[in-house]
Amino acid sequence: MLKKLLKHELKATSRYITPIFLILFLFTILNKIILGLDIFKGMFKGALKIIPGIAITGYVLSLIAIVVVTFVILVVRFYKNLTSEEGYLMFTLPVKSNQLVNSKLLIAMFWTVLSILAVILSLFLLFMNEFDPGLFFGSIRKMWEEITRAFHGNAVLFVIEIIVTVILTLINSFLQIYVSIAIGQLFNGHKLIGSFGAYIGINLVLQILFTIAVAVTGVVFHSFNDIRDITTLFFPILIVVFLVINGIYYAITNYLLTNKLNLE
Amino acid sequence: MNTILECNSLTKKFSNVTALSNVSLTLERGRIIGLLGPNGSGKTTLIKLMNGLLVPDAGTLAIDGKKPGPETKRIVSYLPDKTYLPEWMRISDTIEFYQDFYEDFDANTAMDMLKRLQLDPSRRLKALSKGTKEKVQLILVMSRKADLYCLDEPIGGVDPAARDYILNTIITNYNENAAVLISTHLIADIERVLDDVIFIKEGQITLQSSVDDIRMKEGKSIDTLFREVFKC
Repeated sequence: MLKKLLKHELKATSRYITPIFLILFLFTILNKIILGLDIFKGMFKGALKIIPGIAITGYVLSLIAIVVVTFVILVVRFYKNLTSEEGYLMFTLPVKSNQLVNSKLLIAMFWTVLSILAVILSLFLLFMNEFDPGLFFGSIRKMWEEITRAFHGNAVLFVIEIIVTVILTLINSFLQIYVSIAIGQLFNGHKLIGSFGAYIGINLVLQILFTIAVAVTGVVFHSFNDIRDITTLFFPILIVVFLVINGIYYAITNYLLTNKLNLE
Repeated sequence: MNTILECNSLTKKFSNVTALSNVSLTLERGRIIGLLGPNGSGKTTLIKLMNGLLVPDAGTLAIDGKKPGPETKRIVSYLPDKTYLPEWMRISDTIEFYQDFYEDFDANTAMDMLKRLQLDPSRRLKALSKGTKEKVQLILVMSRKADLYCLDEPIGGVDPAARDYILNTIITNYNENAAVLISTHLIADIERVLDDVIFIKEGQITLQSSVDDIRMKEGKSIDTLFREVFKC
């Protein structure tokens, strides 16, 4: 059933998100052409300068849009599909509430990672004039050697920890919104305001907890004196903290959507 | 043995308002049951409990012996009193959706009914009137071979001509193995299809009886009896 939920989630979200990817692609091509023309011929002079101006503005906007608008679309989808009238359809499917949340989270992560990759690829296409595989892979190898030396041979661990942390951070940003919406839907007639309120409230609580944690564990962080502590102490702690917070968000979201569902 | 739904001392409160209080009832397969009561009497709350959209504060509810969950949702076909289909979908998308999630859904039945009501499957729900959307929803719900149909105000928004067609659809589309629960306050329209009636008032069941019994004992139509019982 999760497979079918994923299929329909993908279908519902790609209607809005695919066009943004297409726009970014078109602006990338357009700017690539303009850059090429301008460098070799200097043809955009005087009033014609407006053309590359518009093209680059559009490009920057579509770079922002692919990250920001995609995120907003995914959040609105969760809110609308589960707490508005559409909830009557979704919550009477023969699936568990956590499968609904799982399908939303997985597709959200899919689009977010894809949008980040699209931004990197687009910048790469636009500003790499002549792709020299030797130079490219050479500099990557050099960077790798630097990291290996810095971490006394623990470069693989360092890279894995960074990737895990980034993924957990992205999951965290969605789950914090999901749990806020699950709390917000409890307020009849004020679901949206309730959701925003819950989000702000959670952030306040987190800030207080973080302040306390820093005060208490300050000693631990002061004892950082070796760069290797980053891989053996700093990232492991960060990862555990994110795992715990994400687990709490997930559990509360499922509990509220199963036992305290409040469709109008 | 033939029981599809059983609930015992079911109670549901919303903050300080008691929507259902100590409701016990049994629904048998092969019957069409009218859940009749004025606005705000607890009809929708009861149906939402049956579909797992609400969790009771006290009491038990079992469908085919199981608590509401994925297992019961598989055999219950539910028509909410809302337009609940995503607006961006075409009618054909909604058919594909139902086919994917409900094993007992028959797409051919749905297409036949769409044709009969002259609804074009390629139309988007956004472009349909409220009454037409309700027809589409009812077609989807009745195209399942479910064990229990919960229809919450199925004829409220549609014109009288479509009402007749919908009621005929309900009678002809269900099998002897299934029970149909229809909640409404439009009793005169629906009376002829009912086998049993349940009267609900201020969150309590005041009467559960077969239509024949009422006609024999009281010598009245259900509509007349309802008007007497719920006189304002």
